[in-house]
Amino acid sequence: MTDPPDASAPDPTDAGDRPTFAHASEAEMARILDFYAVRWVYEPDTFPILWNLEGGVVESFSPDFWLPDLDLYLEMTTLRQRLVRRKNRKLRRLRELYPDIRVKLFYARDFRALMLKYGKLALVGALSGTPGQVVPARRAAALVEVLAAGIVDPELAAAIGDPEQALAPPSAAALAAPAAAVPAGRTSSPRRGAGRRARRRLAAERRAAR
Amino acid sequence: MTRRVDLHGDIGEILVSEDEIQSKVVELGRRISVDYAERQLTLVSVLKGSLPFMADLMRAISIPVRIDLMEVSSYGGTATESSGLVRILKDLSATIEGDDVLIVEDIIDTGLTLNYLIRYLRGKNPATLRICTLLDKPARRLVDIPVDYIGFTIPDQFVVGYGLDYGEVYRNLRFVGVLKPEVYSEPA
Repeated sequence: MTDPPDASAPDPTDAGDRPTFAHASEAEMARILDFYAVRWVYEPDTFPILWNLEGGVVESFSPDFWLPDLDLYLEMTTLRQRLVRRKNRKLRRLRELYPDIRVKLFYARDFRALMLKYGKLALVGALSGTPGQVVPARRAAALVEVLAAGIVDPELAAAIGDPEQALAPPSAAALAAPAAAVPAGRTSSPRRGAGRRARRRLAAERRAAR
Repeated sequence: MTRRVDLHGDIGEILVSEDEIQSKVVELGRRISVDYAERQLTLVSVLKGSLPFMADLMRAISIPVRIDLMEVSSYGGTATESSGLVRILKDLSATIEGDDVLIVEDIIDTGLTLNYLIRYLRGKNPATLRICTLLDKPARRLVDIPVDYIGFTIPDQFVVGYGLDYGEVYRNLRFVGVLKPEVYSEPA
């Protein structure tokens, strides 16, 4: 028989100080964790996983959630398969470099199953993939300019996402989460670097068009 | 237009047959009877899904047992709902302080509900607290919980029957089956 466990009632997470989520599926996951009184912290840590010859960090991984009571990081990935493969690679690298860290990758199919279980399957489309992405105001403005300029550049489009998708009216679920913002002190990621490169290219295109 | 439920026709595959369930229940009952011999055992069932399993398991146990029932609310708020907390819809009807408690579950997938229940029941100071589940779906696990008695470890599929529901139906099937995807792809 096991010994009597520690008597501790669940501590409801304080939902009054919510972070800004980058994706609607993350906001939904936070609500689920809140519901079951599982404490979480949004993107608290960034783990460098690749360095250049000068020792500078060129690639890092910031899991979406840390669940302190479970000592578990949770990474949501409801996006395209190409991005899932990239995330899988980063996760493998993370596990090689930080074997003591426990990370659970939550795939689109996991999220779908969760929504099915909770009777919210109809919302999966709005909460997953591109429609679930919350477009920051600056990026949305850049996308508007891309469309207005009629620029057709596959590389640029890939770097900043599908403009038509991103500019579609946001779903109610996406609106439930505030616009994304870079958490203070977070290491710059390659994805954000791609965004900056895209904006620079956009400015160059506009100069050339004048 | 809402879809008409076809209790058996909506099942794509029988995952665990009635015979397999009954054999396993007898086996689990025998193990529990041995493990808890001379102990004060209380079975705590979590409504509604574990009702058939509880009813069969308690009759497969050959030592005196007490039973109690709990029901907790399930997550399912709207997308725009800021937050909510799990609620105890039905609490235990008697104290479990000093008792050996065995939680009887129909299925464990994420472990979120069970994790909450364990923390809640620990606060009631049982002598021991262990877990028995008919079905274990480890592929979906978020919270690692040691499970003492497992009937069947099942693959990552949406299952109904023998207490498990979809939209509050299919619970009365005598087996555990995989629901056809088109059933939950259409409005219930």
